[in-house]
Amino acid sequence: MDLDGSVTALVHTPLMVLVAPRQEQGALWSPPPPNPGDGALVVSAGRPAATRLEAGRPAAARDEVLALLRDGSGQRPRFDPGLSGGLRAWLEDAAAELVARRGEDAPPLFLGPRLLWDESVAAADPVGTTTHPVGTATDHIGAAADPYPTEWVRSCLIRALFAQVVTTGQVENPLEDALDALRVDPGRSGMARHVDGMPDEARAALAASLRIHIENLMNLTPRFAAGWLPRTHDRVAIPLAGGRVVLNGVFDLLVGAPVPGRAALCALGLTTGGRWAQARTALHYLALLETLRSGTPPFRLALLHSAAGRYAVEDVLEEHLRTIVSHVVVRLSTLGAGDA
Amino acid sequence: MPEGSTSGLSKQRQLTGALLEPFGAAAIDNRAAVLDAARQIPRTLADLAVPRPGGTSFRLTDHHVREALGPPDGVTPHTPFAWSARTARRALGLAGLRALATGAVRSPIDGVISAVDDAVRAAHRGENAASTMDRWLAGLPPAGRAAVQAGAVTWATRLWCALDWGAFEEPPTIGRDHWWDSPHSSLLALRSRAEVRSIARDPAGSPLSVHLVVLGGPRRTTIRSELSVAAMVEVLCSPRSLPPGRMVGWWPDSGHLVTLEIDQRALDDGVAAVARTLAHTGVTPADCGGAIRAAA
Repeated sequence: MDLDGSVTALVHTPLMVLVAPRQEQGALWSPPPPNPGDGALVVSAGRPAATRLEAGRPAAARDEVLALLRDGSGQRPRFDPGLSGGLRAWLEDAAAELVARRGEDAPPLFLGPRLLWDESVAAADPVGTTTHPVGTATDHIGAAADPYPTEWVRSCLIRALFAQVVTTGQVENPLEDALDALRVDPGRSGMARHVDGMPDEARAALAASLRIHIENLMNLTPRFAAGWLPRTHDRVAIPLAGGRVVLNGVFDLLVGAPVPGRAALCALGLTTGGRWAQARTALHYLALLETLRSGTPPFRLALLHSAAGRYAVEDVLEEHLRTIVSHVVVRLSTLGAGDA
Repeated sequence: MPEGSTSGLSKQRQLTGALLEPFGAAAIDNRAAVLDAARQIPRTLADLAVPRPGGTSFRLTDHHVREALGPPDGVTPHTPFAWSARTARRALGLAGLRALATGAVRSPIDGVISAVDDAVRAAHRGENAASTMDRWLAGLPPAGRAAVQAGAVTWATRLWCALDWGAFEEPPTIGRDHWWDSPHSSLLALRSRAEVRSIARDPAGSPLSVHLVVLGGPRRTTIRSELSVAAMVEVLCSPRSLPPGRMVGWWPDSGHLVTLEIDQRALDDGVAAVARTLAHTGVTPADCGGAIRAAA
């Protein structure tokens, strides 16, 4: 895959299709059924996959994910060093036209992955994708009606738990742990208070739902060694038109160290139950932002479906980036003076 | 002030290059002018620091400059400081990077875990050196502490990955803020914040200090003023450290960077920014007309 002079890897993993973990397909091993209210979910922190295999236990899905992320990692593709600049120029043109329509004095427009689909679609699926609700007008449709829609709350709680799984490898009590995480984030402490004030029945339902999601995530999320440099909630913000338009998003998880001139990062996204295609598109959008930020796209993407317990892995291709830029340009052309 | 984006080049190479690039010939002339200006600045600043209501002193940071000089609609309502994952990540991340740079640990994660453990241990032992952050961390439930740790790891890893650490001539100083206390007025102190400090050389081979400042929030018009104040503080502190030559501001979110060469103009901007900031916060200086006019 090391193709000097080529801009697109010829060999790559298949297109991103949902994969059921082998353990699920073959029913070789299943985690114990959830037992709300007691028992910690623990991943053996730092325990190498080989140990589990040697013990005669089927590989967990996280080992499958890890193996797919590692596959071919010694032959990272090179991308055209001019690719990032070309994509940025394309976007700058569209952003300049948008600024002309909105006026030079209009406040900056912050646009997350939700920019990529129609508002009607976004409203039907408010929070289920890799989009982080970052509080922007286009990202948080429906916020005026209900400041804490259930699906949004669930998404935030699951993401908080995901960061905990990556950081410590264990979750004691999903709901309480997630709320403890939200309480140390000033931007989310209001949500924690909202959940604290929920009726017991609704709170129990939320807790049961979280337990299912987090059990799936414990199964799907690789335990990365420290040398992989895993970092959660990595925010990207790309200013266009002198900062009047900002494309932003948040990686749920990035791993890998940058290697000059080569695609070296892997990005893992999380979808908590929304449409798979949208989640994949959102992940491509983030790959585009990383390309603009660092000059090099991520090497590979993984999408974890916490509701279904399934995953998919694919390489980043130049065509993905061009397609996303094309989408963004079209959407920017539909925005106007009324958007803020 | 040169601006750039790291796109198109290796992020590490461009940011490291912007920070450590050798100085041009102008740096030799600048050095004398800057040192001369540094002798005049303390008196000017003292004149700005007239008594505040209640007789309180003013400890000015880049945050104050940003709030005072930014557009009114960009100012967020003032909230009292409280420890959170966001406010703790820099301190923990820097502690982790220091351990990493000295070889005590092998990754940002290990460094941050070590920093968190040290903080909690200090608080539990009741050590005098335990900070408010230590005590706050020690009082958090494990999941809350994990969230803080995750934020610090991300902060530290981004900085660790952004620089070519092998390019430094000598081990950089990581995360030491400099405070300058006015020798003429006990009412004024100024802070220079930089995450990484090192040296670069002028054509004569003499070292000047260079400073990397990690920036947050959007790109803004106040950034030159923020960096100029920090540069001025570095100049004022320079009798006990190297003469400063350059500030580089870097936004991890976007990869964007700005470079400020420290010269007479940068110092003028720094003084002017302090004057406007003090004026904005209610201080009415008796005679700072020159500085305020310069800031206008």
